This record gives sequence, C-alpha cells and structure tokens, in this order.
Amino acid sequence: MNCYQCGAELTSREFCPNCGAKVKVYKRIMALSNRYYNEGLERAQIRNMSGAVESLHQSLKLNKRNIQARNLLGLVYYETGEVVAALSEWVISKNLKSNENAADDYINLVQNDLSRLENFNQTIKKYNIALNYCHQDSLDMAIIQLKKVLSMNPSFIRAHLLLALLYLNNGNYAKAKIEAEKSLKLDTGNVMAARYLKEAEGMMLPQDVKEAESKEKNSGDVIRYQRDNETIIQPVRNNVFTRSGSIWGIVLGVILGIAVACFLILPKRIQEMNASYKTQIAEISEESDSKSAKLGEYEQQIEALKSELDGLKTEMTSMESSDSTSSAGNDLMEAVSLYLNDATNIDGIEEKLAKVDLNSMEDEATKEFKDLYDSFMVLVGAELSKRSYDTGYEAYRSADYETAITFLSKAFQYDNTNVDALYNLGNAYYESGDTDNAKVVYDQVINDFSDTRSASSAETKLAEINNATN
Amino acid sequence: MINFENELKKFRPSLEIEDAEEIIYNQDLDDMADILVGLIKEARTEDAGRHSAPKYK
Repeated sequence: MNCYQCGAELTSREFCPNCGAKVKVYKRIMALSNRYYNEGLERAQIRNMSGAVESLHQSLKLNKRNIQARNLLGLVYYETGEVVAALSEWVISKNLKSNENAADDYINLVQNDLSRLENFNQTIKKYNIALNYCHQDSLDMAIIQLKKVLSMNPSFIRAHLLLALLYLNNGNYAKAKIEAEKSLKLDTGNVMAARYLKEAEGMMLPQDVKEAESKEKNSGDVIRYQRDNETIIQPVRNNVFTRSGSIWGIVLGVILGIAVACFLILPKRIQEMNASYKTQIAEISEESDSKSAKLGEYEQQIEALKSELDGLKTEMTSMESSDSTSSAGNDLMEAVSLYLNDATNIDGIEEKLAKVDLNSMEDEATKEFKDLYDSFMVLVGAELSKRSYDTGYEAYRSADYETAITFLSKAFQYDNTNVDALYNLGNAYYESGDTDNAKVVYDQVINDFSDTRSASSAETKLAEINNATN
Repeated sequence: MINFENELKKFRPSLEIEDAEEIIYNQDLDDMADILVGLIKEARTEDAGRHSAPKYK
C-alpha cells in the first residue's frame, strides 16, 4: 500500500514514514475495498455473478486502483456475455498499472481471436435488434433473434432473461422456466432470473410440471440416487443394443411398414384398380357397340343414297336425251322453215341442220321426224353433202382429221349415196389412228358400194389394217 | 404477476465493441480515496488561509 500524498510504501503505522501524512482513514478505506474484493471473489467462485459484480463495484468505488478487483470484474462481465464491459475494465486496469498486469493476457486472449471477437459483436448486435423488436411489439421476431443469439453465445445471460420474459408473456411457461433455470445456472444470484423462475413455476399446471420433470430426468444419461448422506451420480451403462435401440426401432418400423404395405394395403389397392379397370373396359365396350350399330345404320343410309343417286342420274340422262331429241326436232323445223321462205338460203339451212346429229339420236328419233328429215334431204341433201364434203376433204388434206371426220360424217348423213364422203371418212379415221371406226366405215363402203373404186380401195385399206394388227 | 412492459424497461441495449472507447473515456473513475484526499487538501487549504489572514480587532 502506498501513501496517497507522496506514493511511498506505508508501514503498519498510522502515518506515512516518508511525508508524515496521516493514513489511518485511508488505510481503512483500502481495507474495505479489499474486503469487498474478497466478497466479490467468493461470490464469483460460486457463480453468483450479479453479487460478484455488486461487490467488485463497491470495491472499485472505494479504491479505483484495486487492479485485482477490476480484472476480476472484467472476467465476471466476460463470463456473463458482456464482452465490451469486460474489455473496458481490462483496458482501464492496464492504464492504471501497465506492468505485470493480468489484464494484458485477457485483452490479448480476446483480441488475438478475431473470429471470436466478431462473433461476440454479432451476438450483441443481434441482442439489441431483438430488444428493438420487443419495443416494436414484434415479439415472435424477437424470440427468433434471441434463439440465434443464444446459439452463438449460450452464456449471454441477458439474452436468456429476455427470452424467458418473452416466453412468460406469451404463456409458454415451461420454456420460460427452462430459460430462467439456464440463467440461474450461469448466475446463481440473478434476482431477475429467480423471479422469472418463480413466476413460471407458479403459472405452470401440475401436468406441465410433471412433464418438464420427466423430460429433465430423461435428458441426462445418469442415474442419481442417495446412499447414506451422499448423492451418487452414476452414468447409465449403454450396451450396443440399448445405444443403437433407436436404429433397431427404425429398422423394425420400416420392415413392419413394408410388410403391412405388401400384405394389407397392396392387395386391396390392386383389387380396387382391377375393379376400376373392369368398369372402364365395360364402358368402352358398350360405347364401341353403340358406335358399330351407328356405323351399320350409316352404311345402310349410304347405300340408299347411292341407289337414289343412280336413279336420279338415269332420270337426268333420259331428260337430257329427250331434250336433245326435242331440240333436234326444233332445229329441223327451223331449217325447213328457212327453206320454205328462201330455198337458196343454204347457209342458214346448213347452220340449223349442223346441230341435228342422227347418229346420236338413234332410236329416240320418232318416225315422223325421220320421214321429215329424209324428205327434206331429198330437196337439199345433195347440195349440203357437197358443201360438207368439200370442207371435210380440205381438212383431211391438211391433216386436220378431227374436222375432217365431223364434216365428212355430215356429208354422208346429208346424202347417203355420197360414197366418196364415206370412203374419205374411213381414211380420216385411219389416219387419225382410230382403226376400229376406220374398219367399220371401210366395211360399210365395201358392203353398200361393192362395185365402186372406193370399195376396192377400202378393201386394200382394210387388208392393211388387218395385216398391221395381226 | 409480472408486468411485461415494466420488466421490458429494465432491459438496456448491450454495449457494442464500437462504443468501447467512448465508455472508457466517459467512465467516472473517482473513488473514495480521491474524495478523501480532496477533503484533506481542502482542509489544509482552509487551515493555511486561517493562519495567514489578518486578525481583526
């Protein structure tokens, strides 16, 4: 102990041996400070952190240079998660006594492990955020945040207490009790934790208490029992089977599950699926039957429509032929009328008669029509035949066989004695490649005009055709 | 029965590392010994003043 006035080492006397200053009261203050330090140390040893902080504060109020008290206060703060307060105490301690100070080691310990320091800082920040959430009434968010804080630093008493308070507030007394108990484990003298614990226990229902107790008992792998005056704590012996009991349970559960699935659930499922498939097949076959029946009906309808169409086609053909017959009759009448008005109007008569084709009418022409036609041809046939023959022969010579066939046919139609027209018609057919019609025409020439030159020529041509085909 | 609002008021924000410097500087370090030394000095000054002051008749 040094003199407050000159700094000289004091003796057991009540004055300073160097400057003579009275140090009786000063010595008593120092002694009191030491007493508080001892009290703080004792409290810290039994983890009564709150009590220790109180005593050490008292000690430092009496003597700020009590380095041991200040360093211990820093340690207590550090242990309760108040890292900044701890560092502050150690820094002040080092400032007051720069040599041989344990605070040096403590500061180095914290500062050298930067990740740990950062972790502490994050913890503090998160705690402050959680506190803010509480003030903003976001209590669920605060609980989440505090859980994070405690996962990072489980010895942060303030976080445990705030979490306990939040649990008490939302009626989760069992959890509040757990948090309060954790706080009391870290700081046995924490009044707030004791109050929260009492409150939680008071609010818990008897069954909740039992449940919590049974959980607590099961949580530790130890057996506690009393023998005489001693409490014996014995670890539970775990053999391979008991340790891996849960695994065996899981395996057994899986096997049972598979067995149940195979023997009970699967057959039923298969049966249900079969039944549903059968129903579906029956529905599909019914649908198919109805569709095939409809198909038959449609086929019958198609047949009926086809026969109706054929009838209509026949009717239309007969109507067309009757139309052509009637129009041919009209043309003939007009031609006769033209002749009666002016017998020299051969062009007009030819124009009208050009539309009358006796070959196409065949049986449809009436007897009266044929008689009129024949009588009229006696009057104009020779002239018309000559005109048509001239045109047809010109076309034949110029190898226009189609035109030649048309006009030469007309020429023979107007005058059936015009053998040249018939022979050249055969030639036109022959040259155009229509040998079938050519043969018919040549036969007609040979049969109807047997003694003519044309007949002998037709025979030659017919022989050529026959030779060529053979 | 605990009053949540009142209990919440007891919780103060924890000190962050960035604030450490400010906390150290602003800490009141005066102790009982300082007060005692102050008192003694004051008493001495008063005593010295009493001896040196002129006496009034």
